[in-house]
Amino acid sequence: MNEATATSEHQAQAHSQEHAHPGPMVYVIVAVFLILLTAMELTVFYVQALKPVLVPMLLVLSGAKFILVAMFYMHLRYDGWTLTSVFIFPLMIATLLLFSLLALFAYLSHHMAGVVT
Amino acid sequence: MAAHPKPMSAPQVRSYLQGPAWEWLTTVDHKRVAVLYGAAAVLFLIVGGIEAMLIRIQLFTPDNHFISAEIYNQMFTMHGTTMIFLVAMPLLLGCYANFVIPLHIGARDVAFPRLNALSFWAFLSGAILLHAGWLMHSGLPNAGWFAYANLTDRQFTPGLNMDVWVVGMLILGASSVLGAVNFFVTIVTMRAPGMTYMRMQMFVWSMLITAILILIAFPPLTVGIIFLLMDRFFGTHFYQVLAGATPILWQHLFWLFGHPEVYIVALPAFGIVSEVIPTFARKPLFGYPMMAYSIILIAFLSYGVWGHHMFATGMGPVADAAFAVTSMLIAIPTGIKIFSWIATIWGGSLRFTTSFLFALGFLLEFTFGGLSGIMHASAPIDLQQTDSYFVVAHFHFTLFGGVVMALLAGFYYWWPKVTGTMLNEKLGKLHFWLTIIGFNGTFLPMHLVGIWGMPRRTYTYGAEMGWTTLNEIETVFALILGLAFAVMFIDVFWTIFAGEKAPSDPWDGRSLEWSLASPPPAYNFATIPTVRSRDAFWVVKYGRAGSRGIAMLAQGRSPQVEPEGPPTEPIHMPAQSIFPLILALGITVAGLGLLVDYPRAMITALIVMVLSAIGMGFEYPTFGEETEEAHSTSADADVRKVGLWAFIGSECVFFASLIATYMVYKARNVAGPGADILEIPLTSFSTFVLLMSSLLMVLALAAVQRGDKMWTRVWLLGTVSFGLIFLGGQVYEFTHFYHEGLALQTNLFGQTFYTLVGFHGAHVAIGVIWLSVLTIAAFMGKLGKSRALSVELGGLYWHFVDVVWVVIFTLVYLMQQVKGA
Repeated sequence: MNEATATSEHQAQAHSQEHAHPGPMVYVIVAVFLILLTAMELTVFYVQALKPVLVPMLLVLSGAKFILVAMFYMHLRYDGWTLTSVFIFPLMIATLLLFSLLALFAYLSHHMAGVVT
Repeated sequence: MAAHPKPMSAPQVRSYLQGPAWEWLTTVDHKRVAVLYGAAAVLFLIVGGIEAMLIRIQLFTPDNHFISAEIYNQMFTMHGTTMIFLVAMPLLLGCYANFVIPLHIGARDVAFPRLNALSFWAFLSGAILLHAGWLMHSGLPNAGWFAYANLTDRQFTPGLNMDVWVVGMLILGASSVLGAVNFFVTIVTMRAPGMTYMRMQMFVWSMLITAILILIAFPPLTVGIIFLLMDRFFGTHFYQVLAGATPILWQHLFWLFGHPEVYIVALPAFGIVSEVIPTFARKPLFGYPMMAYSIILIAFLSYGVWGHHMFATGMGPVADAAFAVTSMLIAIPTGIKIFSWIATIWGGSLRFTTSFLFALGFLLEFTFGGLSGIMHASAPIDLQQTDSYFVVAHFHFTLFGGVVMALLAGFYYWWPKVTGTMLNEKLGKLHFWLTIIGFNGTFLPMHLVGIWGMPRRTYTYGAEMGWTTLNEIETVFALILGLAFAVMFIDVFWTIFAGEKAPSDPWDGRSLEWSLASPPPAYNFATIPTVRSRDAFWVVKYGRAGSRGIAMLAQGRSPQVEPEGPPTEPIHMPAQSIFPLILALGITVAGLGLLVDYPRAMITALIVMVLSAIGMGFEYPTFGEETEEAHSTSADADVRKVGLWAFIGSECVFFASLIATYMVYKARNVAGPGADILEIPLTSFSTFVLLMSSLLMVLALAAVQRGDKMWTRVWLLGTVSFGLIFLGGQVYEFTHFYHEGLALQTNLFGQTFYTLVGFHGAHVAIGVIWLSVLTIAAFMGKLGKSRALSVELGGLYWHFVDVVWVVIFTLVYLMQQVKGA
């Protein structure tokens, strides 16, 4: 098989894979999970006994919602690796940026209060 | 690639590059757009050069008053801004990359030709606005190219100076991001058959990584400038200490962009040198895989070194150590590149052309600048050098000694391909030697005068400081540097009028562009080439080792490979478009309207911009359809889909910067209502509505994919309705908070909350408009199965808005009692 044929076959295969999206039933099931997760978030928010674990639980629950939407509604589970990496890499960078800035300003607030603002 | 059926006839090809002004104003051809970028950048190079000369003349003697202190401030501010944003970036990305990348990867144009034209016109709009100060009483921007808060506060810069900078920079940033999306998608999806990533030219590698770097580095700057714009125009206090804010926030947001920016201009320079050196050494690039991986590593590390610009702000020992380590680490991949270039030259059959000489100049001067850079990675040493002329010397060795030398190497290398004429080599070599002498004479003494304590940006100095002699030397050599560029311009004009005609392959080149006529035809390749190795054209000419071609090379002969003739079949090329220019004019007028506080002009301009954007969309004859071109990509996805994902990736960093600021400032709120004002029941309902709108959106996509027109309409209408309900909830929430006493200017919480949630709301509004257009198309019967992609693209954007809200709902609303940073 020559290179050009291989490339075009690969493209055709990849293209058909790209469109193997799920049916409406999967979308509805995902929506049910999204509602359940939101309900759990609200439970964590309102139940006093869960206050000590509020932050980790909310992060896990909202992370799960984020992943469900990205994987199923944005079709990252079904599309090729190119699209996934185009999203995941900047998302990692964004997360790093968020935590870096929080850490840097936390230090500034706690150690330099009244000195440098 | 756009697919307008417009076969190129032979006369059209001949008249190419000789068309009237209209042809240039409406061009979407990547080569013409590149020429437009190049011409504009050269104009600004002259402007920036004059500004530099004024600075040097002012510092020629002690206690000099050649120009006033205010003008001096404006000159060093605009020199930096101009050289970075209006010369280096447009030349490297707009001109060189635009011209060369499609040729290197065997494509006929970039992925989004209209967007490419819009990038240029938007760039020109931003550049003109930046220079609007020449016509204004207040003058040019004057707070440094870094625009440190709180120098930029209205209290300290009351005129229009920094307003102009803010508006101009926002437009330039948008132009850069559009360009980056275009290059990224072009390289990922439009490579010729057989051109795997590891067969790409190193310049293409460098541009791929640079595009990614732009996409993740510009959003923090955009956020920082938006805050500054709000402070100056809408009375917020993002950088005002008295309101509890901190000017350090600007430094973080600026340098989060600012250090990657160094590599945004350095990586393409590395790419140019990686093309020039193998060609004139007649050897393959040494260590190709490591060269490629080094670019990736440099880019990745460059995002984690911004703090070394801020050692003097007191970030603490842990942060200082972390930034010192990452800054030193970046020397490793850079060193790999330098040794690989040396190894490529080693044992090569060298030809000392002007281009090669400039590449050698780059190697020497950039290495020197890199060595002084490692010093700045050490916090204790950096504290001694911060804000001294030593730093000025360092970054001129990297930016002029590195980037400009590489630009000039590329200029002499690709000029024959762009224009079809040969520059004069004797004048070129005179240009080179004058540049080397002038450059080193200007910037080497700055190391010494910096160590002796001369602060940068100083208007003048006393004779007793002992800096006079070195400053005199610097100014004299700066004039020689100016003379060097005069020689280059003489060479250019001489060549334009009497230059020798260039053959298709004047340098015995290695990459695909040399297989084409000089200048290349509008369609680039009559037949898209199939690539079987790195340095594809070299292998075509000489074959692999042991073949006849290698024997010819040993005899010092070059096989003549004639460029292909005219195409035998019609080639589909994108049609010209006036809409990018009109849209950019709208941007210019909107910017001016904001500057002079003339809302009517802004509103009119916004309408023009929206109509132009719609016009651009609808003149695309196969809008939303899966075209043959879209199928024939080298990636596993449609061109437009990859483009939207790249934009969404950039948006992730944008929202992360906004969210980080919210969380930092929530804890610093000193007075007035705080996060406890937020109402969870209302927002929970809004969250439910938005999540359900996403469900309706995917149901609409499923319906259009199976050709069900009725349910496509129903679900799309439902999505739009839910989007409007969400927006209504947000309007109610904002109005309610306002009546509770929380206005935009009330306190840090108010301004960060309204900005973050407001920007999300603006994204929802754009999504509603987008989906409304699709809904109307569906009701008009124009949204059939073949246009499912347009629904998928609208849906992707909508779901992204949804996931951003998932994060905001948790971090802003549900964690309202959690103390911020």
